Amino acid sequence: MVVGPELFESMRLELRRGSLVLAVLARLREERYGYTLRQALASDGLEMEESTLYPLLRRLESQGLLTSEWREEEKRKKRFYRLSPPGEAMLSALADEWRGISASLDKIL
Amino acid sequence: MDLIDRYLNAVAAQLPQDERDDIVAELRDLILSRFEAKEEQLGRALTEDEQEAILHEIGHPLVVAARYRKGPDSLVGPELFPYWLFAVKAGLLLMLAVQAVVLFINLISGPADAGQSIAQAFHGFFGTSLWLIGAATVVAALFEHYGVRPKWLTSWRVKDLGAFGLSDPAAWGASVGAAPKVKVWVGPGGKAKAWPGGDHLFSFLATGLFVLWWVGVIHFPALLHIDFRGADAQVSGAPVWTTLYGAILLYAVAQMAVDLASLARPHAVRMRAAAEVVIAGAGLWLTWTIFEAGHWFTLTRDGETARIAGDWAMLDFERLRAVGDGSRDLAGAAGTLSVVMTWVLAIVAISLVFKVVANLWRLVQPEARRDMRPAA
Repeated sequence: MVVGPELFESMRLELRRGSLVLAVLARLREERYGYTLRQALASDGLEMEESTLYPLLRRLESQGLLTSEWREEEKRKKRFYRLSPPGEAMLSALADEWRGISASLDKIL
Repeated sequence: MDLIDRYLNAVAAQLPQDERDDIVAELRDLILSRFEAKEEQLGRALTEDEQEAILHEIGHPLVVAARYRKGPDSLVGPELFPYWLFAVKAGLLLMLAVQAVVLFINLISGPADAGQSIAQAFHGFFGTSLWLIGAATVVAALFEHYGVRPKWLTSWRVKDLGAFGLSDPAAWGASVGAAPKVKVWVGPGGKAKAWPGGDHLFSFLATGLFVLWWVGVIHFPALLHIDFRGADAQVSGAPVWTTLYGAILLYAVAQMAVDLASLARPHAVRMRAAAEVVIAGAGLWLTWTIFEAGHWFTLTRDGETARIAGDWAMLDFERLRAVGDGSRDLAGAAGTLSVVMTWVLAIVAISLVFKVVANLWRLVQPEARRDMRPAA
């Protein structure tokens, strides 16, 4: 049976969705603003739409996992994000979970 | 106004006031960064089309703004959707039953144009169905918005699930027919148990529908008109309904309150029994008062009137057997409806007496809550 490309794309996106939060948190151990964060994730092979990334950053900040500040860089004000102490703890816990899931799936696959 | 301002204005209009400036400033930086990167790649300034292509990639303003919303993304989320679907299906079946009764009354009243009665029934069904779906969606949307999850949604038990099969008419036969097709939990005593909330949910929906009709929120036009040989006969209520308007409304609302309380605490048997005794007693009084009034409705057509009225003499099986044999004129239809109404009131009174007795029995019975674990 041939796998339909639309079905595959839908399941691929579903598979990626949860892991993107982990990737964003991991990348923000180093301070970045939205545009450079997206570039960094893209270079890691994790393309993310701006319309998904920017609201996600605000949500993570409202949950206390990120901190942000407006600063001027290259003659323009930019909003810089970085991981907060609770965000570091969350990243550590989620990374353990991820490794556990990955190890379990590796055994099955 | 350049493209960026036009785009950002469209986004800003959808955003909450307190976050608008902050989000727009960040989006502006994103767009300018994307433009600069593209200009660097091409080694020249971007044309308007190229700028527009980048804005397209970022997304439609409505979609971009929607992603910043803090509330739920949908009116009925995936968690509530199965409950919403059940409520809509059950409500639609209930309305179908109501319209079928109305249609039956119209047809036995001898309409010259049965097609018109059927069309009216369809019209009534689809109108009230739209209203029902809208109301269910508004309730679900409120639940989603405020994160409300009533206890009966989360604290369910397997033994309480029987009534959910009722949204499938194919399963109805199982409860009244010979060979059940659905598997029903059989308790240790060997007797099938019904979901205690099932009756209350249906009672709540049915009474709610009645209350909305009673206060004039929804209408069943077919209830007020009967077609006689092409002429429209109007049905008007007798004074007894005006006299009892408040009492009937209070009775229905009290019944809904008990149903709601029973849904929240399906095992508070005694509390419910006490309330049901009072309400059934009130129902008996109402039924008696309506019966004693003797005159319930008046049919009017072309200046001619006929009363739908009854007394003890109509509680005769011969009169019941002869229903439908009467003349096809206004007086004949009124006579038929008088017998039907008299018997309906009698049956309602008998069922209310049974309800009072059954609930009094529950009140004096010792509280019994059987362990739900199946016997090993």
